[in-house]
Amino acid sequence: MTDPELIRNFSIIAHIDHGKSTLADRVLELTHTISQRDMVEQMLDSMDIERERGITIKSQAVRVLYDAADGLSYQFNLIDTPGHVDFTYEVSRSLAACDGAVLVVDATQGVEAQTVANALMAMNANLELIPVINKIDLPAADIERVRTEIEEGLAIPADDAVLVSGKTGDGVRELLEAVARRIPAPSGSADAPLRALIFDSYYDSYRGVVALIRVVDGQIAVGQKLSFMATGIQAVAEEVGVRRPINTPVEVLGMGEVGYLVTGLKDPAEVKVGDTLTLAKGGATEPLPGYREVKPMVYTGIFPLDGDQYEDLRDALDKMALNDPALAYEPEVSHALGFGFRVGFLGLLHMEVVKERLEREFSLDLLATAPSVEYHVFTTKGEFLSVHSPQDMPDATQIERIEEPFLKATVLIPPDYVGAVMELSQGHRGNFQNMQYLSTSTVEMHYLIPLSELILDYFDRLKSRTKGYASLDYEFYGYQAAELLKLDILLAGKPVDALSFIVHKDKAYSLGESLARKLKDIIPRQLFEVPIQAAVGSRVLSRTNVKALRKDVLAKCYGGDITRKRKLLEKQKAGKKRMKSIGNVDIPQEAFMAILKLDE
Amino acid sequence: MGELANPQGASADSPKFVPFQELYLHIPFCAQRCSYCDFTTEATVAEDAALDTYVDELVSIIGYCAGQGALKDVRTIYIGGGTPSFLGARRLSRLVGALTKAMGSLDGVVEFTVEANPESIDKRMVEELAALGVNRFSLGVQSFDDHELQALGRIHDSASAQAALSVIRSSTENVAIDLMCGIPLQSAVSWQASLDAAVSCGANHISVYPLSLEKGCALTDAVASGRVVVADQDTQADLLLQAEQYLQKQGFDHYEIASYARPGFQCQHNIGYWTGQPYLGIGRGAVTMCIAHDGRRIRILDGKWIDVLSAHEAWIEEAMLRMRLASGLADSFIFQNHKGMQKATVAIALQKLLEEMVELGLLKHTQGRYSIADHSWLLGNEVFGRIWSLADHDMFRQ
Repeated sequence: MTDPELIRNFSIIAHIDHGKSTLADRVLELTHTISQRDMVEQMLDSMDIERERGITIKSQAVRVLYDAADGLSYQFNLIDTPGHVDFTYEVSRSLAACDGAVLVVDATQGVEAQTVANALMAMNANLELIPVINKIDLPAADIERVRTEIEEGLAIPADDAVLVSGKTGDGVRELLEAVARRIPAPSGSADAPLRALIFDSYYDSYRGVVALIRVVDGQIAVGQKLSFMATGIQAVAEEVGVRRPINTPVEVLGMGEVGYLVTGLKDPAEVKVGDTLTLAKGGATEPLPGYREVKPMVYTGIFPLDGDQYEDLRDALDKMALNDPALAYEPEVSHALGFGFRVGFLGLLHMEVVKERLEREFSLDLLATAPSVEYHVFTTKGEFLSVHSPQDMPDATQIERIEEPFLKATVLIPPDYVGAVMELSQGHRGNFQNMQYLSTSTVEMHYLIPLSELILDYFDRLKSRTKGYASLDYEFYGYQAAELLKLDILLAGKPVDALSFIVHKDKAYSLGESLARKLKDIIPRQLFEVPIQAAVGSRVLSRTNVKALRKDVLAKCYGGDITRKRKLLEKQKAGKKRMKSIGNVDIPQEAFMAILKLDE
Repeated sequence: MGELANPQGASADSPKFVPFQELYLHIPFCAQRCSYCDFTTEATVAEDAALDTYVDELVSIIGYCAGQGALKDVRTIYIGGGTPSFLGARRLSRLVGALTKAMGSLDGVVEFTVEANPESIDKRMVEELAALGVNRFSLGVQSFDDHELQALGRIHDSASAQAALSVIRSSTENVAIDLMCGIPLQSAVSWQASLDAAVSCGANHISVYPLSLEKGCALTDAVASGRVVVADQDTQADLLLQAEQYLQKQGFDHYEIASYARPGFQCQHNIGYWTGQPYLGIGRGAVTMCIAHDGRRIRILDGKWIDVLSAHEAWIEEAMLRMRLASGLADSFIFQNHKGMQKATVAIALQKLLEEMVELGLLKHTQGRYSIADHSWLLGNEVFGRIWSLADHDMFRQ
């Protein structure tokens, strides 16, 4: 156990791409936690996909030892947090395990929406904030402008902001000194009954669920019988330890310390992020504040391209869910696509990451349908239905009303783009709430906007209309009634259930028409003409045709050319294999996501 | 030089290979590269000593192959390019003479074609070659419209093509020409004019193919940059059907996807490619196809094995290639006893596929033969691709 006075628990928070993980790498290097030799770029982002995309999906906690200029040796627990709005709850729990935070702002980009959102979360958690201006090595760095934005936009004094370059390592030692000097030691009671916060967990196939914890009061020791206060489950501490970054067992984790806990529990649902651990006997009576259940926001159908892979997909989802309690799924049957799953995600990034990991780590070929949200449907018979998939939407005649989820969205932009954002948001059924100037160069706008609009294309269009300057953050607001319809797509006269989607009454015509047009571009010409229709119930809103293929022949071919021409045929065939055959129409996978890619 | 096709391991008297039926000689030289061309050829001048050296090498390889017995069953010879006529009468005669000498005589050769371009063929060349045993000339015409010829980067004009054709016609009736549709500036009317001219010039074999934009060609770049506009696939389809309708009315058989001939003038060499005859290619960039006695089909280019098909794959390939011909695939082909194959299962799989394509309207099944249905030849790849995909079938994996 370390003297709590020498413990510093902190996290690095930043907008995506502002260089957080690279900075964490330099910290590990400078404290000799990892030798240069073993260093993999972005050590803390251990999944391939995290490294490739430069994002953090799961939090990590690493203990480093730092010999400071004051002659004392400090224990730093660096808690890395996800940098994306999909994972806001995880960020909030990670922050709750900290006493301070290093707020990284890119010297070339300045303050962005998640900088604000994360800083606010850190301030709400009463963390001491150390502003850091990163990437000062870049020619486009504008330190003074960023300083002003931090002061005006976040109301954080920035004259003592630490200037660093995660790339060159400049300023990293100064940063560590600032951590030792400015971040408070943990406050808690070593004598009180144990209270430890579970701020993350992962699944290990040999050990079961491993919880990452912060001891707030008391201490946790091997062999203790523990109680999980939210779930009421009890278990014995089989092993406790610290991550350096490899798991290193210890006998005891004392007040203020951060480490991991193995209990032998196998079901991730029993070890919930945000739950409080205490002793089974004589434990605390009050849990730590802030626990809530994470709920999926976005749903999509995921189907194996090859129907034989359905069982493999189920196994893969089961395995993935062990490490990702936010992932929810149930079987779904589509006439068009066969057997698959309706999968719930925290957001679009979460969805993309999961789909990509399923394909990559489990060698599956998957097809995803357009994302939808959870609708609350009240039927004329007085029933309440929770509908995750357009397929499950009852017939319009049986619906009394539908409610859909709304978000409170925060958009940060330079003042020039206020008009563009207003126009875009109105077009996406957003209700303007208010706006304020954070500085002369940054405006913060607040909207209530349906989640379904936001997941379609709002963010992409926001980016393009503001030349990439806008940043967006959102949180769940609540359910509101809306006049919604189910729009069906018919190919060759037959409805393709996997192409149906829910749309607001006022947008049905225009969306139906643009979708039919888009599908016409996406679906290749086939041996027969393929009529495309967009319809609500029996009412056809729009129709168009994919003309029959007229010419596809390697006319000029001679003896010396056969091998090459045959390879062309093989390539053509490989292209077809990636398509889904429905009836006798070959449909490329992107058709199922066409709704996300409509022209403006 | 020194990179001419080396038919190593491909000699016909070795017991391992089926004897070659066809011989192809490649002449990789032209006066100028056409804007759509991606063939193995280089532009030079007729006086270039490299041409003599190249002919010397061909002659010595011909001698070597003959010594190995590789030429004794050859039935067709085709000198193609590039531009063979660019070599001039002297060099070409030398080549033909060397072949005659190496093979003893050309008595067993039923068809001997030399490709020529209008600007480099003359009466003397035609007469000399005809006297030596060349009995078929294939003239690269492409179009009888001077603007279109310019757009293709051809150096001849319509008048010189007409003149060349009359010169050839005075020696032999066995005259073939190429015509291309989808050329920049071409219309249905100018296309018809070219078709008319081709027929009235006395061509008895006409190859018709659409312009295809190959990677790295000048024309491809020009189209990509928007400087030149070419016909889309639908327009090409219209032009190809226009040619088919017209030529059939004029008494030509549409005997192969890209080939029309009056009765008796089908190209035997060309038919050999689609019916699985092994061929020996000599010259830079010429491909050789050998059939081993275990049924494997091996293709060799510039001394390297570039393609080896198992007996199963070779059988599927042949089924696919035969579909290029109007005669298609005889039922007996499907159920014949083929080397090294468990025939029942594969034959059933092939027949099932062919029947499916009859259902789809791609094929017809008449008089004991499966062949491409009328007008479906424009969708040939749909047929070829489906047949070739059988090679990938589980039951073929041993």
